[in-house]
Amino acid sequence: MRLDVALVGCGKAADQHVSEIKKLKNAQVVSVCDLEPLMAEQLAIRYGVREYYSDFDRMLQQVKPDVVHITAPPQSHLSLAKKALDAGCHILVEKPLALNHEEGAYLIDHVARCNRKMTIGYTYYFDPIARAMRMMIQEGVLGEIVHVESFLGYDLSGRFGEPILADRMHWVRQLPGGLLQNILDHLLNKITEFIIEERPAVCAHAWQRGRDDANLGLPDELRVMVSGQTTSAYATFSSHARPLSHYLTIFGTKNTMHLDFITGTMTFSVSSTLPGSIGRLSGTFGQAWQYFREGGRNVIRFARSQYHYLEGLNFLLTSFYDSIIHDTLVPIPYTEMLRVSAMMDELFEQLRSAHLVIT
Amino acid sequence: MSILVTGASGFLGGAVVERLLARGEPSLRCFVRPSSNTSRLRELQGEYPKARLEFVVGNLTSAKDMRRALDGIKTVYHLAAKMRGAPATVFLNTVVASKRLLDASMETKPERVVLVSSLSVYGTSGLPCGRPIDESAELERHPEKRDVYSHAKLRQELLFHEYEARGGFEVVILRPGSIYGIGGKNFSARVGIEVQGWLLHFGRNNVLPLTYLDNCAEAIVFAGTKAAGGDIYNVIDDDLPTSAEYVNAYRSNVDRVLSISVPFFITMAVSSLVERYQVHSQHGVSALLTPYKSASLWKGHQFSNEKLKSMGWLQIVPTREAMQKTFDYLSHRKADTGYPTLPLCRRPGSQGVREHPSPGVAVERES
Repeated sequence: MRLDVALVGCGKAADQHVSEIKKLKNAQVVSVCDLEPLMAEQLAIRYGVREYYSDFDRMLQQVKPDVVHITAPPQSHLSLAKKALDAGCHILVEKPLALNHEEGAYLIDHVARCNRKMTIGYTYYFDPIARAMRMMIQEGVLGEIVHVESFLGYDLSGRFGEPILADRMHWVRQLPGGLLQNILDHLLNKITEFIIEERPAVCAHAWQRGRDDANLGLPDELRVMVSGQTTSAYATFSSHARPLSHYLTIFGTKNTMHLDFITGTMTFSVSSTLPGSIGRLSGTFGQAWQYFREGGRNVIRFARSQYHYLEGLNFLLTSFYDSIIHDTLVPIPYTEMLRVSAMMDELFEQLRSAHLVIT
Repeated sequence: MSILVTGASGFLGGAVVERLLARGEPSLRCFVRPSSNTSRLRELQGEYPKARLEFVVGNLTSAKDMRRALDGIKTVYHLAAKMRGAPATVFLNTVVASKRLLDASMETKPERVVLVSSLSVYGTSGLPCGRPIDESAELERHPEKRDVYSHAKLRQELLFHEYEARGGFEVVILRPGSIYGIGGKNFSARVGIEVQGWLLHFGRNNVLPLTYLDNCAEAIVFAGTKAAGGDIYNVIDDDLPTSAEYVNAYRSNVDRVLSISVPFFITMAVSSLVERYQVHSQHGVSALLTPYKSASLWKGHQFSNEKLKSMGWLQIVPTREAMQKTFDYLSHRKADTGYPTLPLCRRPGSQGVREHPSPGVAVERES
């Protein structure tokens, strides 16, 4: 069975979705839609999609897709999602799920009411190293998780940041949590799966480091401390640290694991059994060997065409479509999405209380 | 206020404003983005104290800002375009922005809109090289196979034709080649690709379709005032160097260049391999080189500027002098930074590699 997929919102995120869907055997893109017909047209032409629309209702009515990907700005997620669900479609919503936790919870309830399935565009959630990490944790390699550190670097002058900086009316800047709200899912969804509490204690601190940039007017550095009963976490978002990093470190009672999402490597902190300086020396070589091994593994994956930047998104889409076809569990639990949005609400509330301008 | 220049703070925009002021325009309106650097325009205001430069700060994709910018305008020079970034961003800021401008024009009714397009709208891949390509040549039929900038410029032109057909104002289109000059970059994409400080010199014996910044600006202003509505003009200079001559002159005047000269048939063979791997890897690597792109850029096409000259346009800076001025600028820029000007070089204290257009993303115009 092959699902018919339609997209609404033909901006930057839509490119990633269409390019990944085109690689899959269990789905095909049948139509794209954008309020601005020129944007829908360009995406359709570049990816050879048969039909494009500027009227979402009309597209739903005429195309009758099985799945709708909502890649429009988050301000419209809830209304578009409801329309798609009411039309009988399953949905994939780009992150952030909605404007706040309340909207997100309502959306999830509506998914259940319509007896449809939903997932969210957590690109790195199923990255090969994240999947390998989960397997190792299940096998008990790390022991109990003590602490987690998630780091996400962001280039404000890059292809995603630059348009936001250039336009004070950009939709990202109109979000309740501004730039941070559009990015933090990638930072926080790596933490939530390790914290068992529904509402853990969160302490956030943010500031604008690029003070010479008059166009910014929003925080570009964020630190978040999350305290669970057994596990704590620390999240860092930085627009200024270079080189750009994107990693997750998991400190367990037996081992500490380091996932680098840029290079796609998974390594462990080493402890030597040898005494003194010899032990320290051997530790260095132990780490070098791990990187050598990971590099070699990635070369093989590259040769086999499995070293894509969006490998995680590809896996997510495949799993989500399979869950629809075989009526099995969705790949990302809804509770996970809600925990992320609850954490974001709490975080933005703290920043507002501290009189920090977000947008 | 009768003239509006969009993209006025850009590389070409500043030169067009200068040419308009030099021709004695008493007042100009410049449309700039909130993040634009307007220092060059403010310098020009100082150089022409009797003229009045008015700045309208806004977003080209905002219908409200466009109406504000066009209020009372008779002639629009539309230069604003996004040349790099994500495809959606390039399209939004080039094509959708043009649509907003044209929609506003339907209300405010300027007499003339001058669009600065690009030579990259021609479907050169399938064209033979024997005859210079003039304005009647076939346009690109597979823009999706080229780069997103070519695609956006082609769609932008079609959009202008659509609005022109609906009436209300005249449209004049100019298609400049690779613009070089003070403030510009080292090499046109038609020379080759720069990778890790090395120049892969693909178009060695091809004549480069260059136009010097001031010559191009003069052509735009000249056509804006003299051309008939509906006319289209290629903009390139005379006495142009081959790619090899340009690179050698760069070497003599600016800096050493580590280059590998690649004959066209090898370029095509490598392009074919890259494309095959791209398909095999399901787009695991960028399609920097494909036979279609390579044939479009480095096959050796030449372009005609006869139509522009027959209208009376004169190249105000001879090519030899223009190249010298450019190389002097690039040489000074290198001396100022203390580092070579090849784009991929790191600077001390910089935060990593500087951003530049992706190698292989061919653009004909810088703004």
